[in-house]
Amino acid sequence: MEDLRIPAITRQEKVKLKVNDQTIEAYAGETVLAALMAAGIKILKKNPVSHQPRGALCGMGVCFECTVTINGRPNVRACMTEVEDGMEIKIGE
Amino acid sequence: MIPAKNKYDVIIVGSGLAGIVAGTILADHGLDVLLFDENIHLGGQLLRRIPEQLGEYSPKLDKIKKIGFSLVEQIKQKKITLMNRTTLMGVYPPSEILVEWNREKTYAFNYECLLVATGARERFFPFPGWTLPGVYSTGLLQVMMKSSGVLPARRTIIAGSGLFLMAAAYEYLKNGGQLLGIMEQTPMLNKIKFFPQIFHQSAKFWEGARYLSLIYRKRVPLKYRRKVVEARGEKQVEEVVIGRVDAKGRLIPGSEKTYSVESLAIGYGFVPNVEAAQLAGCELEYQPEKGGWIVKVNDDLETNVAGIIAAGEITGIGGGQKSINEGKLAAYNILRHLGQEKDSSLARVVTKLKKERKHHLSFAKYFNSLYRVEPQSLLELSDETIVCRCESVTVGQIKEAVEMGCYNPNALKIATRCAMGKCQGRTCAPIIYDLLQALCQKKGEEIGLFTVRPPLKPVSIKALQDSVRQQA
Repeated sequence: MEDLRIPAITRQEKVKLKVNDQTIEAYAGETVLAALMAAGIKILKKNPVSHQPRGALCGMGVCFECTVTINGRPNVRACMTEVEDGMEIKIGE
Repeated sequence: MIPAKNKYDVIIVGSGLAGIVAGTILADHGLDVLLFDENIHLGGQLLRRIPEQLGEYSPKLDKIKKIGFSLVEQIKQKKITLMNRTTLMGVYPPSEILVEWNREKTYAFNYECLLVATGARERFFPFPGWTLPGVYSTGLLQVMMKSSGVLPARRTIIAGSGLFLMAAAYEYLKNGGQLLGIMEQTPMLNKIKFFPQIFHQSAKFWEGARYLSLIYRKRVPLKYRRKVVEARGEKQVEEVVIGRVDAKGRLIPGSEKTYSVESLAIGYGFVPNVEAAQLAGCELEYQPEKGGWIVKVNDDLETNVAGIIAAGEITGIGGGQKSINEGKLAAYNILRHLGQEKDSSLARVVTKLKKERKHHLSFAKYFNSLYRVEPQSLLELSDETIVCRCESVTVGQIKEAVEMGCYNPNALKIATRCAMGKCQGRTCAPIIYDLLQALCQKKGEEIGLFTVRPPLKPVSIKALQDSVRQQA
């Protein structure tokens, strides 16, 4: 899969995240949202009312459109959370 | 970081420019200060950069950002309590606030003076398909690149209104993005009229020139009087339809053009984050040329609630220089208020700052009005267009409720559930205020606002439990 990371940055510590059944690589210091976007993942959940797919809108903690389940905790904003090695992320719920 | 005590001379909400400028001055004068912010890193929305932990990257910075980042470094060395990942839940004058830290615990803190510097968020203008994944704000585009070093997508259109579109385009192009076009909704004519004014703000002029130079060099089409008609796609955005608008902002039929994209970045200026001040009981005023509803302050930045001062974008959208100015003014006023003003030359400094502030305000008002998309243009939207994203409330449902007699935001909320979702109306409220103005043919101040109640943002049950356990 295409990596959307900006090449000019010399990155340091690589981590692995589990997104549903898929494993993706990320770098310590990135937000969960950035790691998902770098892996080309845009669809994060279904709207509870319309059941239509939704993804991040504001990127800064305002819109709550990027809430996902992280390590079993629901409703966590991906844009306000940093990645950690071994993190389990559930999307599309 | 978990603070050892709960009583402070000054509590500052928000670590953007206004907050850190004020925090630095107050800490230097020996006051006991708590400064907290919801974000992972200090600096607010303007001061974003690749964290040290992630990697090395030192892009060229403009003057304001250089000042800002050096303040962020300085404040960490001061005798001041700094808390990140800390969200304000409630404000209870005359002296108490409630916060949630890291989704783990809640704390109650006491203040003598509360400085509210909660900044601004992006303004949106809906269109069919704006809820599709891959449609996001120009702010998200900037945040992904600046804070995490990631491009959200390769092929993008940037659309909306405001100089911020150019800033986002510049950053995106510099980082290797493929930009298919910049679509500005307001006319070019405004900007030409504006040109003589900008010489009074040379920093902004050069900033704009730098953006334009790269945009032209990369041959990116920059179009005025263009609006997003629709975003299409099965599960995520695949196509964007852009159309031309007339002098009144109405779509010219037959002018639509379809672009194949991976994403669409939209931005329509900024909305002051007034909710915390509103909850505290601070009087607000409606000034569209300053961003809509703003916190009403006097020349000393005092609100009508004793002990609460407001600074930065919440007193009117004006950018970094205004925020630095107000951060200083707020700090000096707090020093006087708490009887810490030992330096007699301070009065002269304050007079100068107040004069500068007038200048920033008049420029900001002029600047904001250039890019304002009029409420009337919301009437062009189809009934199926979603306004409140969280509750999927459409233009049609809102029109219907207005016809039934819901002429104010709270009545609309009861009738349709708009603004009742997780974002608590932060995304749709400004749109609904504008839509009500257009539908009821009333002014913004007559329409009013949604009521704000604690918790200001969704709080985790675990955090609430832990606060209970602590006190037991």
